Amino acid sequence: MSACAPQPDPSHGISSEDFLKFREFFYRRTGISFESSKRYFVDKRLAERIESTGTGTFRGYFTLLRFQASGEELQLLTNSMTVNETYFLREEYQFQCLVDSILPEIAKRKAGSDPIRIWCIPSSSGEEPYSIAMYLLEKWPQINEWDVEIISSDIDTSILRRARQGRYSIRSVQYVPPRWLAKYFKSIGDEYQLSEDLRQAVEFTRVNLSEPADTIAYRNFDVIFCRNLLIYFDDLSRKNATDTFYEALNPGGYICLGHSESMSRISSLFKVRKFPEAIVYQKTMEAR
Amino acid sequence: MKHVLVVDDAATVRMYHRGILEFAGYMVEEALNGIEALEKALETPFDLLLVDINMPRLDGFGFLKELRRQPIPQPPAIMVSTEAAAGDEKSAYRAGASCYLLKPVRPAQLLAHARLMLGEENK
Amino acid sequence: MALVRGKAAGDAAGKAAQPAGKSKPKPASCAELAAGLESADAAVRRHAARGIVLCPDAGAALVSRLKCEQEVAVRAAILTALIRLDDPAATAGLAGCLRSEDVALRNEAIEALRELAASGDSAGAVPPVLASLLADPDPDVRIFAVNVMESMVHPDVERWLIEVIETDSHINVCATAVDLLCEVGTEAAIDPLVRLQARFVSEPYIQFAAELALKRVREI
Repeated sequence: MSACAPQPDPSHGISSEDFLKFREFFYRRTGISFESSKRYFVDKRLAERIESTGTGTFRGYFTLLRFQASGEELQLLTNSMTVNETYFLREEYQFQCLVDSILPEIAKRKAGSDPIRIWCIPSSSGEEPYSIAMYLLEKWPQINEWDVEIISSDIDTSILRRARQGRYSIRSVQYVPPRWLAKYFKSIGDEYQLSEDLRQAVEFTRVNLSEPADTIAYRNFDVIFCRNLLIYFDDLSRKNATDTFYEALNPGGYICLGHSESMSRISSLFKVRKFPEAIVYQKTMEAR
Repeated sequence: MKHVLVVDDAATVRMYHRGILEFAGYMVEEALNGIEALEKALETPFDLLLVDINMPRLDGFGFLKELRRQPIPQPPAIMVSTEAAAGDEKSAYRAGASCYLLKPVRPAQLLAHARLMLGEENK
Repeated sequence: MALVRGKAAGDAAGKAAQPAGKSKPKPASCAELAAGLESADAAVRRHAARGIVLCPDAGAALVSRLKCEQEVAVRAAILTALIRLDDPAATAGLAGCLRSEDVALRNEAIEALRELAASGDSAGAVPPVLASLLADPDPDVRIFAVNVMESMVHPDVERWLIEVIETDSHINVCATAVDLLCEVGTEAAIDPLVRLQARFVSEPYIQFAAELALKRVREI
């Protein structure tokens, strides 16, 4: 009837009731929550998945998502909703929190010659553990009084090789201050090679977090960074990982998670601690 | 404008409580279990908490006990629950609740208690 | 003092707290693990809970310890073990915990049952247990049974929920079922929701919740 071509639908045919229903469901399953301001982003991803799965409508797609026994579609959707980009100094406020709040607390209660131990998982291609190393050297004055060990693990051996190699794109180092860049990197063509000193400062290991035999040796850590990993796990793997972290931490040890994930998805094993820079989780002092 | 945190794992209940409180002019934030509530309460100061008891991960008692230990200004808390165990009411006060209501809560009843807790009886 | 290359196991400082020390640990027997669950040392109980999964009758031993365990870390390890165990004894034992007076234990049991019901091998063992929970004289137990259905992918979930809102006399049990119908309801739920509104005509909460569910169900 109408002579006008249909306008492109900005909501991709997803009503606001659909959005609310989806948001609730997705949060409960993954721990990732979207503000209403993210509506367009969410609708667009949903529309893509509706199209790829051939389910045709939000309703059809939601039924697949909700009732699929394998959970495969939920996994695919989670991947598309979380842009997992890694670069140096990503979510820097947590490193700030580490040097300004967490390490001073640890230093106050730790005995003389014991090293401070940090476990960083997943290592991915190394940007995060190396960021921590640089941050400690540049921003934590007490680094001269303490031995600090950084161990970083990943399940993927090829990515661990890349991490050990320490060669990065311009994009990857774009937020590194120029002075640090000059001090810790050498530019080779359009890439940046991390200095030997820093590469030697981090120990990379292969670990499957869901495999108790892999993790049983990981003990006596003071801080664990585990950012944007647990959101990809199912509930049981997440529980296993949480138990592993609990065992790996010293009493009073800390866990830092990614910005969009909260411990509420995991467990009540740890206490919430609010520092000026970030919220982190802490194993109780009495625990052992 | 007074700021209320509504904590419940059921989306419908949160929307219902939000609707009533917003109608009366309060600003409402939601959390769907005790840990999320704790995170929010540490981020933002609230004037009043409306807390369910049975929730996954960290229940209402656990949330309040933990919150009451934190070095922040402490808002009053209304606890709501289904009929549940007879001990719940006592446990609620012990955990730091200021009043205890049975579900489902009627709009007038909720507002009366909210105003009382906020010292706005004459409103 | 500075950044130093550490060892994963944390024995760089010679202080590794390996559970079995440096010598190669001998795997504990099932009898030792069962005894370990009752140890006075929380760390021993936690290790026993993680190790006992492969032993016969682990479910019963874990559930009985869960009911009196006070240490959160041990409880968490026991719950993880029960979910990994994933057998009828674990399911039945967890269902029994729903009648506990202990709020934290109840909620932990609901959460564990949800996980078993969602994907476990014994997901088949959950529906009969649910049926008996839904017939429990205690309305709170019936509410928890509805809570368990939250993550179930079983095709009959909607039918069970409809039965609850058609027959259960307790307002809060119906309210909980309506909340979940917002997520899983189809056209089949429309008439039962309308009848529920009529049954609790003077209850504003039921009017509100059913209205919301109807809106979601009718959306095309």
